[in-house]
Amino acid sequence: MSTLWNSKALGPVLLGVLLLAAACAHHQAVVAPEPQSVPAPAVAAPAQEAPGTGTTTVTPEPRLSPAENPESGIRTSELPADLEQLNKAGYLKDAFFDTSKSALRPDARDALAADAAWLKEHPTVKLTIEGHCDERNTEEYNLALGWRRANAAKDYLVSLGVGAGQITTISYGEEKPFATCHNESCWSQNRRAHFVITAR
Amino acid sequence: MKNRTLALFAVALGVGQFALAQDEVYLKVTNPGLSRVMIAVPEFTSRPGTDPAAAALLLATLRKDLDETAVVGVVPAENAKLVVIDPTNPTLTRQRWRAVGAQFLLDGSFAGAGNQLVLETRLWDLTSGEVAFSRRIQGTVSLAATMAHTLANELVHLFTGRPGPFLSRIAFVSDRTGAKELWVMRWDGTEAQQLTTYRSIALSPAWSPDGEWLAFTSFLRGPPQLFALRPTQGYLKTLSTLPGVNSSPNFSPDGKTVAFAAGAAGVTDIYVVPVDGGTPMRLTHTLGISTQPAWSPSGRQIAFTSNAGGSPQLYVMDAEGTNVRRLTFDDTYADEAAWAPDGVKIAYTTLIGDRFQIAILDLRTNARTIIPGPGNNESPCWSPDGTVLAFVSDRTGTRQIFITDPAGRPRQITDKGNNIQPAWVAQVQ
Repeated sequence: MSTLWNSKALGPVLLGVLLLAAACAHHQAVVAPEPQSVPAPAVAAPAQEAPGTGTTTVTPEPRLSPAENPESGIRTSELPADLEQLNKAGYLKDAFFDTSKSALRPDARDALAADAAWLKEHPTVKLTIEGHCDERNTEEYNLALGWRRANAAKDYLVSLGVGAGQITTISYGEEKPFATCHNESCWSQNRRAHFVITAR
Repeated sequence: MKNRTLALFAVALGVGQFALAQDEVYLKVTNPGLSRVMIAVPEFTSRPGTDPAAAALLLATLRKDLDETAVVGVVPAENAKLVVIDPTNPTLTRQRWRAVGAQFLLDGSFAGAGNQLVLETRLWDLTSGEVAFSRRIQGTVSLAATMAHTLANELVHLFTGRPGPFLSRIAFVSDRTGAKELWVMRWDGTEAQQLTTYRSIALSPAWSPDGEWLAFTSFLRGPPQLFALRPTQGYLKTLSTLPGVNSSPNFSPDGKTVAFAAGAAGVTDIYVVPVDGGTPMRLTHTLGISTQPAWSPSGRQIAFTSNAGGSPQLYVMDAEGTNVRRLTFDDTYADEAAWAPDGVKIAYTTLIGDRFQIAILDLRTNARTIIPGPGNNESPCWSPDGTVLAFVSDRTGTRQIFITDPAGRPRQITDKGNNIQPAWVAQVQ
């Protein structure tokens, strides 16, 4: 935890936590808490996803995606000028999906929340969200499924305050797999909304 | 080269000259594979002036064609060699052919001059002893194989009322060059020709019924858009640039309209667009995914895939988009409807366990028949005469196109790279 709370990472962490809280608030119609009380609702956040009947399981240490990228707080002016380098730097995390689904999993929401935080700090950045699928299902169905995934990711980012004008969407279906083996170890990597920065 | 080859079919062969009346069905074969009509095809005579190589190629091609259909078989060579041909007594000779299992006898004589080859043939019904069919075919020697295909088509038409497959072509998508391009080949997998060189992604080829247009999806301008290609001219036109996938085109039976899938904001619905240009019109209003439209042969209905009920299932609607109802209930997954030419069967892709398999739904009884095969099998496509299916299988480790042979056994017809999404047309115009 000591590195997590160092001054460099504090900004993005707080922002990410805020966004997680905001996402919860969105569903619960609870007013977003003051910055000082951020850790508490953030801690409660995973409970929203826990199945069950009335029992709220508090998870003490939620995974905070922004903290995994200590550089995510830098400004647009500091971004690499070259788009290829910018995309390789990994400022934006892809969102992954279950088989044949376009619903956002908890881990996808976490990734997208971090992406939204970064994108709101960099409002001049434009990006394409590519919808990708594994090789299960037919090519045509996967093209439609990838379209749904890309737009599900976009809709979530926009709901978190990212400008819709920053984002275009495209589906590649199963046409551009990230991993090419023919089992779940590869398929799980190929079911994703992939982020490509097109302008800084 | 490709353009010239395809164009030659229409020009050098007077197609209309050989046309048969639509209702001239000699024998209706209702159970392909079990009741093949056996035809004896002995050596044809040759008059002076005949090009011997062209004549030999024509006869060999004709025998091969006829033997590869589900409805006609050629009397095997081991039986044929038992027949003592008596030129002075053709009636006796025909009786001898009948004794070795032949029901029909095709005799013929070649003639020719210069680069022309002429074949006059008669088909004898050995039961009645009468001539059932006669034909004179003429063409340049370079078209000997095409002349054989044309004659074989007519013979199959005579027995089934539907054109034979011998001039038919299968369009498909291949990655053998490193990019997914459109290709076309003869129905048996020979003479593969590359149709696009966009080095992009091409998907979902679909023929117009007359073989003039090939509609498909391409990413060549960035987002997926719908195009139509005239393969004989290399002419390309845009059919749809709607937001969304612009995928899975399918021509109406009259060839005037293309149904396809597109839609904004993650939703995919069925649209129709006039082939001659015009504004796409939305037919379905689902909130999820509707894709893979397939017109019924009558043109009155369109089958499609939708996940409206949770999993992808087949639905059908009237061609105006009304009266939507679900077709499949026994499948965990159903996609890629292909309406058979007879109008009463739909082939589609289903999921059995963890493997994709071809199934056939009988619309009269709602009975589902699975066609089991090793590996994953998908993208069923009917031959123009409706007797056999082409499909894609990964049973060899790569994805290849197979067709069912006369006995229903699969026969691999591609082997370079991965080859998917077969689309079969009776003849390219």
